[in-house]
Amino acid sequence: MVFNSLTFVVFFACVLALHSLPLPWTVRKANLLVASYLFYAAWNPPFVILLWISTVVDWWAAKKLVSVQGANARRAWMLLSVVANLGMLAYFKYGEFLMENFAALMAGLGVAWQPPQLDIVLPVGISFYTFATMSYTLDVYLRRAAPARNFLDYALFVTFFPHLVAGPILRPTELVPQFESPRRADANQLCFGLALMTIGLFQKVVLADGFLAAPVEKVYDGAKIPGVLDAWVATLAFGGQIFCDFAGYSTTAIGAAMCLGFAMPDNFRFPYAAIGFSDFWRRWHITLSAWLRDYLYIPLGGNRHGPARTYFALLATMLLGGLWHGASWTFVVWGGLHGSYLAGERFLRARYAHLRPSAAQAFALGVLTFLLVHVAWVFFRAHTFGGAWRVLAGMFAANAGAVPVLPAIEIVTTVIIVTGIVAAHAFMRARTLESVLATVPAPVLSGAWALLAFAIVIEQGSGNAFIYFQF
Amino acid sequence: MSSADSGMSERVDDREPVRPGFVRLTASDRPGVAQPVPVRDIPPRPWPRIFASAMLILLVAVGAWEWRMRAEGLEAGDIDDGPSAWAEQRRRVDAGEASVVLVGDSRMLFDSDLDRYEALTGVRPIQLAIAGSNARPFLVELAEHSSFAGLVIVGIAHTTFFGPDAGLGRGALERYRFESPSVRASFQLHRALSHAFAFLDDRFRLSRLVHFLDDDWRDGVRIGTAERLWKLGVTGDDRQTWLWPRIETDVRLRDHQRAAWGLGAGRKPPPIADAAIATAQRELHDAVATIRARGGEVVFLRPPSDPRFRVFEEQQMPRAQAWDALLAAGGVMGLHSDDDPVMHALVPPEYSHLSRACATVYTDAYVRALALRTPRVALRSDAPAPLTAADCDMPPADLASSATATAL
Repeated sequence: MVFNSLTFVVFFACVLALHSLPLPWTVRKANLLVASYLFYAAWNPPFVILLWISTVVDWWAAKKLVSVQGANARRAWMLLSVVANLGMLAYFKYGEFLMENFAALMAGLGVAWQPPQLDIVLPVGISFYTFATMSYTLDVYLRRAAPARNFLDYALFVTFFPHLVAGPILRPTELVPQFESPRRADANQLCFGLALMTIGLFQKVVLADGFLAAPVEKVYDGAKIPGVLDAWVATLAFGGQIFCDFAGYSTTAIGAAMCLGFAMPDNFRFPYAAIGFSDFWRRWHITLSAWLRDYLYIPLGGNRHGPARTYFALLATMLLGGLWHGASWTFVVWGGLHGSYLAGERFLRARYAHLRPSAAQAFALGVLTFLLVHVAWVFFRAHTFGGAWRVLAGMFAANAGAVPVLPAIEIVTTVIIVTGIVAAHAFMRARTLESVLATVPAPVLSGAWALLAFAIVIEQGSGNAFIYFQF
Repeated sequence: MSSADSGMSERVDDREPVRPGFVRLTASDRPGVAQPVPVRDIPPRPWPRIFASAMLILLVAVGAWEWRMRAEGLEAGDIDDGPSAWAEQRRRVDAGEASVVLVGDSRMLFDSDLDRYEALTGVRPIQLAIAGSNARPFLVELAEHSSFAGLVIVGIAHTTFFGPDAGLGRGALERYRFESPSVRASFQLHRALSHAFAFLDDRFRLSRLVHFLDDDWRDGVRIGTAERLWKLGVTGDDRQTWLWPRIETDVRLRDHQRAAWGLGAGRKPPPIADAAIATAQRELHDAVATIRARGGEVVFLRPPSDPRFRVFEEQQMPRAQAWDALLAAGGVMGLHSDDDPVMHALVPPEYSHLSRACATVYTDAYVRALALRTPRVALRSDAPAPLTAADCDMPPADLASSATATAL
């Protein structure tokens, strides 16, 4: 089920009503658990089984991690959890990709081998919930957290519908303690949660799907060869689209959880105002970048074993982070580009540690960050390297046979929206949404809220899935 | 968590230090440790009052928008045809709910009056035609993936049958093959709301209205037909689809719609490759054989088009090469509108699709013609009297009452 669907409106109203009934806390948690399974099953019922497998395996693995003695036994139970989760991910997400690449490798060695047609359906959100459940066993293994006290709390942590299919990727220590005592939103939380959901849905339905998706599709999926203007407009549109799509999802999820009385962490912090790439990754998909840092980068050595090991850990983390987004070499290149950006920035920071950039230099660095992030987006969006090169060549005026692709209206709307997004990020760079809203007069907030909701209603939307569902 | 817990402050957690440049810590600021329970702020504003005011403004704005959209000619009950609506009708075929199925492109969709068909024969066909599509993949799908053993009436607009794939109907086949419970429920909810709100129309979404402002402003970029079409049809619950009445009455919209077809713009009709023709003929032959083998039958219709459009169509592919050869290859019977005086006299207002009243006349004509040629179509003893092209001038309500009165 997607947030931007009529089904979700009815579903959420029912969940809110049930959650507000004067029932025992355990019953209300059970209601939330059942609702979360329904939320997931509404996409494809049989795949709830995968969710159960992931839940049960990690529950038992964490229990054993506490009860068994000896490092080897603990490591074995940890590995069982990791292998079970990554195994599911490998089969469902990377099965066909691995087969195709193995076939290509064999062909390179002169062995003709045709991979079987697997037709594997990618379960929605598998990358998100496997990472969430793995963080549970890994935190217990690393002795950062104790196991959940009861299975209901743990199962609800894994399945809680606001974060289930596209994050934020929660850690057990962020959510499980919230299930220990009764929670119900008060009137302020309920209304502010609804306001956040309106903002999130506006980003998704109106900006991402309504205005920004079309120019992206025309240039990236069309047959025409784009020139400088079309290639840049489409790529900027994609930068805006993926931000509005994913940050919109996260904001809606945070708002939905707040309406039920729960708190979820920030996943985005106005990333297009980032100055430098380490700053960017502290603002973009924060829960994923922090997950990769804690469970991949640091175990790979982090910055504790000298520069060479640090650069290796950085690149390996970003390459795997790229692959997490999709079973395609274009995602690996996207991750590799960001790894290179981060490594380059690290090198320059060490080399020029004494320099303190002026405001103008910081602005220039911010613009450079923005542009390089968008160059990397080309590989994220293009389905093939051929498609990526076609757009990149257009961006750098290297397409000889370029023709106009985008209608003027799409250029105008994209420029207006992207400029608005960047200006908003620059203004909000060192602020929170909450701190700004606290200074706005109530009538203005009412008017703005009504305007966003009205735009959502008249845009109608077609229930398009969020881009990150496929990851 | 409560707003009191959060202290109405800007920061998440007063226990944590604030990193320069950030006013709220996140997981990115806490490497290698268990992340704490987040605490979210509630800005100290009167949120219930703000919410109530916002909803009031929203209600007024939506009411005004609904009034404006009705003034534009939108009507409640138009369910906005789409993949889910098609999939629902396709499942009715699987459930054995009808003995007649209509397959085709937009002309078959707009030009068939299911009520008239039912009034004449006692059978209400299932409408599976899709605008902007090619009938062939749907006919093949029906042959290969159903046990349908009734009459398939295939409507084609000259060369659409030779297209490479299902065109704009691609999504419908995919939706029929897999439709999630969530999507199916959303469709039912949308349909229920569509009966109350006229503004729920895909062609009148905010972003589309903005895009309609562009009148090919940029040199070298011509907005495609699918995007250029303002609104063409009105669709009821079982996909009974009519030409949008404003196309008949509003000269500006009618001219806009005509322009969308590209006549007079120096557009050259693209030729159809011999291989595409051969593929279409082969697939038709196989599909017909499969349907006949289980007791079914297939007939073809060629709905009328404007005489100027006919010239354009003939330039693209002469009838002998398209229609006649196709019928021969499939071994099927067909009714070409050029061959019937009533059908031939019907002129679509925007060159391609008949008006609502004319669709009734056309359906009346083809049902009667089919009844003479195949035992699969039988007229009821109390069938209404035949209609003529002159009946196109009669508003739909009068047409219905006239037919009923004649029958009585």
